[in-house]
Amino acid sequence: MTRPLIAAVVLAVLAGVSLLIGASHVSWDAVFSPGPDDRAVQVLVISRVPRMFAIMLAGTSLGVAGLLMQMIARNRFVEPTTAGTAESASLGLLAATLLAPGLPVLGKMLVATLFALGGTALFLLVLRRLPLRSALLVPVVGLVLGSIIDSATTFFAYRYDLLQSVNAWTTGDFSTVLRGRYELLWVTLGLTCVAYVAADRFTVAGMGETFTTNLGLNYPRIIALGLVIVALVTAMVVVTVGMIPFLGLIVPNLVTRLMGDNARRSIPWVAVTGAGFVLLCDIIGRVVRHPYEIPGGTIAGVIGSVLFLYLLLRRGARVG
Amino acid sequence: MSRPDRRSLPLVAILSALVVLAVVWVGVKFQRPSAPEAPEAQAGASPPAAAEGRTVSHAQGTTVVPLNPRRVIAFDLVALDILQALEVDVLGVAGDQFPEHLARYRDAKYLRMGTLFEPDYEAIHAARPDLIITGGRSSAKYANLSRLAPTVDLPMSGKDYLATVVANTELLAGIFGKEAKAQALVAELRQSIATLKETTAGRGRGLVVLVTGGRMSAYGPGSRFGVIHDDFGIPVAAEGLNPSLHGEVIGSEFIREKNPDWLFVIDRDAAMGQPGGGGARQVLDNELVHQTSAWQKGQVVYLDPGTSYLAGGGIQAVRHMRDQVASAYARAGSSGTPTP
Repeated sequence: MTRPLIAAVVLAVLAGVSLLIGASHVSWDAVFSPGPDDRAVQVLVISRVPRMFAIMLAGTSLGVAGLLMQMIARNRFVEPTTAGTAESASLGLLAATLLAPGLPVLGKMLVATLFALGGTALFLLVLRRLPLRSALLVPVVGLVLGSIIDSATTFFAYRYDLLQSVNAWTTGDFSTVLRGRYELLWVTLGLTCVAYVAADRFTVAGMGETFTTNLGLNYPRIIALGLVIVALVTAMVVVTVGMIPFLGLIVPNLVTRLMGDNARRSIPWVAVTGAGFVLLCDIIGRVVRHPYEIPGGTIAGVIGSVLFLYLLLRRGARVG
Repeated sequence: MSRPDRRSLPLVAILSALVVLAVVWVGVKFQRPSAPEAPEAQAGASPPAAAEGRTVSHAQGTTVVPLNPRRVIAFDLVALDILQALEVDVLGVAGDQFPEHLARYRDAKYLRMGTLFEPDYEAIHAARPDLIITGGRSSAKYANLSRLAPTVDLPMSGKDYLATVVANTELLAGIFGKEAKAQALVAELRQSIATLKETTAGRGRGLVVLVTGGRMSAYGPGSRFGVIHDDFGIPVAAEGLNPSLHGEVIGSEFIREKNPDWLFVIDRDAAMGQPGGGGARQVLDNELVHQTSAWQKGQVVYLDPGTSYLAGGGIQAVRHMRDQVASAYARAGSSGTPTP
């Protein structure tokens, strides 16, 4: 039982570092012995703590969403950014921005969720029609589909000179997270809990439709639940902080390599590792060009793509 | 399945070769009637150009420009801004985003020549321009455009902002013989900026922030908005900002830490005509920014996005910016706020 302890310590250290790093200087001394002005405490309460929570929530929920997608699609290389889910969500966000600019954040999120749901369902439909499902073909199909959706987004964004804004949504960036601007992300924690409660069903669904039905479970309903969770999580993260690429892919892969395919066991680990990974990326992004920032999503993209290539090219990827 | 496919391959190849030949033949045949017309049109225009051309040196080399060009295409809002100030009319423009002071170019009587990033080469060719002006975002298309007609490229760099504005104005004035007009405009601008500079000194430090899609970036001296510091003389609140095109990504913490007395905000989404997307006010209205002296003294200046972002560098745009900043300083001074 030392592993949970180590994980907790590592996560706590990362969270602590995340609290202490930023454009303004905050030291533990200043926090625990407030001077004449309580600036350090203010920065912590208004900016650092919300940012830390936003990072951990996004990392946790995207990791679990990736795990669910991998079980639904029965492929290890699928996650919201390699199956068109994230691209659909940002197309939805663009549509909402263009057609109903005055829509409140919740309305925009709803539109983005519907698009994400549609895009993911389309991906699964395409997968069903594929005669031959090699481990590598599935993510390629997802990437192709995502790129097609993305090209539609780019077309309309280009026409209406919104390319920069779309770019801002699609790179995960925690620099604007402040108290009162990220709270929507707490909903993803609820969704992660739902995923944990239904974990055994997802484990079974990951073994295929026939198997699931033989056990007396309603396969379509489990898939639908998984899809709704994935789409909601993706849309919420895209709307509040932007997308963090590859996270849902590498974190579940690393965890299931160690823990096996039992979702009940792996979901907590995916949640913790996802949070730690995004914390690390955001810390790097804040340190490299201090006091300016590099978006955490960009760092995650760099690290993630290297790990993705490693996972794709390593021996055994073709069979599993 | 595979055998008939393989057998039909040569057939497909022959067929497609025939189609290509047919297309080429049709193309050549239909080109022919228009072919004599083109040299004729050129014959009308080019001899005077060759005889009375004026050599203009600009950012991407030298170009022989015909005297008093009439058919002018402006691929740059900065150039359009200056031409309007010089009272030179144009034939065609690019894109459909125009800041308020250039609103008249939204009129359909001005030919559309594609966008700043993607010129419509066929439309340009058909318009038979005497002169094309590129600059800023369209500078990259200079090489292609200069093959169609004499093309002049106006540079816009943040370094020596005002000097560049003056140089561009004088360059265009030289082409159109509007030197006197240009001289008056430049003298007036220089005078008004000198007056502003006297007011801004000692009135606190400023920070320029651009907001797009809910994200913020900061700009400093020598950047595309460097005119604020370099020419208007507003002291810098954040030293060491890299003058890159897209600025440096910052958060509200950065603004609070630098605690500027003046915050100059450019709402990029508003410049692009996104009424709902223009959330700069929303982004900045937060507890951290509230603690800056700029916010507390009511010295947050939302620069007109059209003139500062779209046409920044045009002589009229600079004058607008100057006026905006000057009136903000005048308001702050007259309201009697105690300045520590």
